[in-house]
Amino acid sequence: MAKREVPEINAGSMADIAFLLLIFFLVTTTMDKDQAYIRTIPKLLENPPPPPPIQKRDVLEIQANQQNRLMVRGQIIEPDDISEKVKEFYLSNRRVNDLKSDFPLYSDVTISFMEAEIDRVTKEVEDLEAQAATDMATYKRSMLTEMEKKLKALKLYKKSPMREISSQANIRIKTQQLTSYSLFTKIQSEIQEALYDLRNEESMELFGISYGVLKKRAETNLEDKESADRVELLKILFPDRIIEVTPG
Amino acid sequence: MSKFKKDTSKSVPGVNTSSLPDIVFMLLFFFMVATTSKENDPTVKYTQPKGNFTTDLTPYKQRSEVDFLYLGEPRNPARKADFRMGFALSLDNVVQATPDGLYTTNAVSRWKRDKFEDKRSRVKVGIEGVVTCVKADENAPVALIFDIRKELQRIDALTIAYAVRDQSNI
Repeated sequence: MAKREVPEINAGSMADIAFLLLIFFLVTTTMDKDQAYIRTIPKLLENPPPPPPIQKRDVLEIQANQQNRLMVRGQIIEPDDISEKVKEFYLSNRRVNDLKSDFPLYSDVTISFMEAEIDRVTKEVEDLEAQAATDMATYKRSMLTEMEKKLKALKLYKKSPMREISSQANIRIKTQQLTSYSLFTKIQSEIQEALYDLRNEESMELFGISYGVLKKRAETNLEDKESADRVELLKILFPDRIIEVTPG
Repeated sequence: MSKFKKDTSKSVPGVNTSSLPDIVFMLLFFFMVATTSKENDPTVKYTQPKGNFTTDLTPYKQRSEVDFLYLGEPRNPARKADFRMGFALSLDNVVQATPDGLYTTNAVSRWKRDKFEDKRSRVKVGIEGVVTCVKADENAPVALIFDIRKELQRIDALTIAYAVRDQSNI
């Protein structure tokens, strides 16, 4: 029997099918990434511990009114100048403490001091739990995890002692009800810019890698503990304690 | 008389299109890799403000650790008066909404909790770690942002993100 020839398959409509798929993907997807400033909201406590006394020098107050004008520490400024003010706030006393200045003070932290502190607070937590003071115990427990992070960072920092900014130092954003979202995000952007610059400089000095690269590595690869620890250290050196005050 | 005979029967050869599907598939794969799928089409109008030094939310999206909510003017201008300060929220329809799919800020905590219950088994973090990304119009008053914040605080959803369009990256 003669071999019958297999007829060729007509692939002319293949292109049409592929085009259809292509157009479907073009329509249902977006190119732009979602980008945002991530912030933490303070936990709502039923019986919050009394707030520690706040010193004027520890607060960088950024106020925005409903005409979208800005004031930093009582001085009217343009939005683009906020980052300079933030850098000044962090760096003024970093090398040497100037008690007369109006900026947060730094303290020296060593590994042995931190270990002693952790022991002390652990005992406190145990006592509080025995008294069934749950809110206070959770608060102290969160303090304890902070301290353990700090100890880890200290070991990574290698230089001893570590200069650490006052734990009360914070940036306070005070807005009014009608302040626009664009100004609010502009303030966030400027703060982020200042923090990025500060951390980046430190990161280049300590590890020779830019902060942006470290952060990206830590975020995209959760297994990369080394980068995560380094980011943590930089965050302890230049903490982003931002308080957003609810407008009244 | 001429020595060269004109060949009148010769026709233009057809263009070979057999590699066209390959080209189109290549384009298709490029777009599949380079883009991300749209979350949903919000029912509010919003223009994002610009900003620098943002955090990219793509890794959070891949781990489905982020929910988006949109704050803007309703598409139907007649509905503006129904909302505080003229701005409405667009959440995906998991809780009861008004007929045109708009919400007031009171719905945020219910929405967030329901969304979290839905994906509790899929995410590795608790509700306090799931980011709530607010995409607000540049003219929206911050009072509404703080309303949303308060609602989130009530249910311990303690991570918020303020969305902007990054200038430095596009």
